[in-house]
Amino acid sequence: MTDESGFTADTLEKKISLIESILFVSGEPVEPEKLINFLGCESISEFEKIIEKMEEIYKEDGRGLSLNRSGGGIYLSTKPELHDSLNEFFTIKRSSKLTVPSLETLAIVAYREPVTLAEISDLRNVNSTGPVKSLLQKKLIKISGRKRVPGLPLLYSTTKEFLLYFGLDDLTQLPSLEELTELFEDKEQPSLFNK
Amino acid sequence: MNEMHFDPGEDVYNINSEFFNGPFDLLLHLIRKNKMNIMDIRISDITSEYLKYLEKGDGINPVREGDFLMTASTLIYIKSRSLLPRTEQEGQESPEKKLIRTLIEFDKIRKISILLKEMEKREIMLWKREDITEKFENREYDLEEVSSFQLAEIFLNIVSREDGKDVLFLDKKNYSVEKMRDQILSKLESDGFINFNKYAEALDSVEEILVSFFTVLEMVKRKSIIAIQKGLFDTISIWKYEKGEISN
Repeated sequence: MTDESGFTADTLEKKISLIESILFVSGEPVEPEKLINFLGCESISEFEKIIEKMEEIYKEDGRGLSLNRSGGGIYLSTKPELHDSLNEFFTIKRSSKLTVPSLETLAIVAYREPVTLAEISDLRNVNSTGPVKSLLQKKLIKISGRKRVPGLPLLYSTTKEFLLYFGLDDLTQLPSLEELTELFEDKEQPSLFNK
Repeated sequence: MNEMHFDPGEDVYNINSEFFNGPFDLLLHLIRKNKMNIMDIRISDITSEYLKYLEKGDGINPVREGDFLMTASTLIYIKSRSLLPRTEQEGQESPEKKLIRTLIEFDKIRKISILLKEMEKREIMLWKREDITEKFENREYDLEEVSSFQLAEIFLNIVSREDGKDVLFLDKKNYSVEKMRDQILSKLESDGFINFNKYAEALDSVEEILVSFFTVLEMVKRKSIIAIQKGLFDTISIWKYEKGEISN
């Protein structure tokens, strides 16, 4: 890959600098395939090596960024330990956006998609129009069609934004229902409750 | 600095705070407290404890008090049934089984919710580029593509706004999608873009608005235009589609 200024991404360092610049400019996660093609990587493992090297670099104390993967792409974010300082500097508070009803609704959609409003309400044992609407607005769920039953109710599914919001690569990264039981077994997972 | 940051106001799921969002949260809490197996609940024990909580009213979500009472009546019903000789009907799920089934399902949902909450907390600590841009509200455009469902909702919005005016005529004019398409295209040619709400308001009748809306949908489908909306209920902006302009 050569451009007019004679920049050739022939060394590992140059490839890293190129990836970093692309990720810096790009507002959303970049698909690895695009980078592999652009850099002319011989194999996925070569690309993975570059990424590993980058991760190593970012792990150093002098760096404020880290390399992440979710929603099927690679992106840069700040390191978690800088959270408080960033809140202070930008005088905005980045905190939880989701209420318990919203979380429960998302849980149902994530594990049962596509699912109708009636099914969500039934499982939650309470009318769920409110949380569904607010999740639609936040783009964490989307209308994915209609169920072929009387009344043709709308079906809801999770979105790419959902994956990004929770830092998931895809839905299979969520624990299965069996794993979930193990996860919470015996002591009701005290680490999740206690600070 | 390395410590995890927790917002004290976020402990809705904290088991010690004893706030119960819905009746099942309370039931599951009682089951755990009494170290019962969810498949094998001693309904009579649970019922009396449940009622005590209800009487005190502590930690009961006031918004859903009705649901709490509803579940209380189910519990009492199950308890009273168990005192009577069995008259189980074939093929019918007993209220007890039904309660346990819904409870198990709800327990799964609750666990997943806790998990999602943890994941959300973790992700919030990672700032991304777009998080900062969110701050600058005076951006010129916050372009987002809209789905056909949203388009339909906005359309209904425009039509209902017309309700206040009593000057709507139902005339005999016939509108065609083809004519409307030419009209929209020529307006796009001259103006560059169309503010659909304004455009529709200037039209004479509901039929014409309807046809113009169908035309927009059809044109979006055929990729001759792009329809973009900033937020729910905002106006729809329409541009001519140029190849490669918007991917995905």
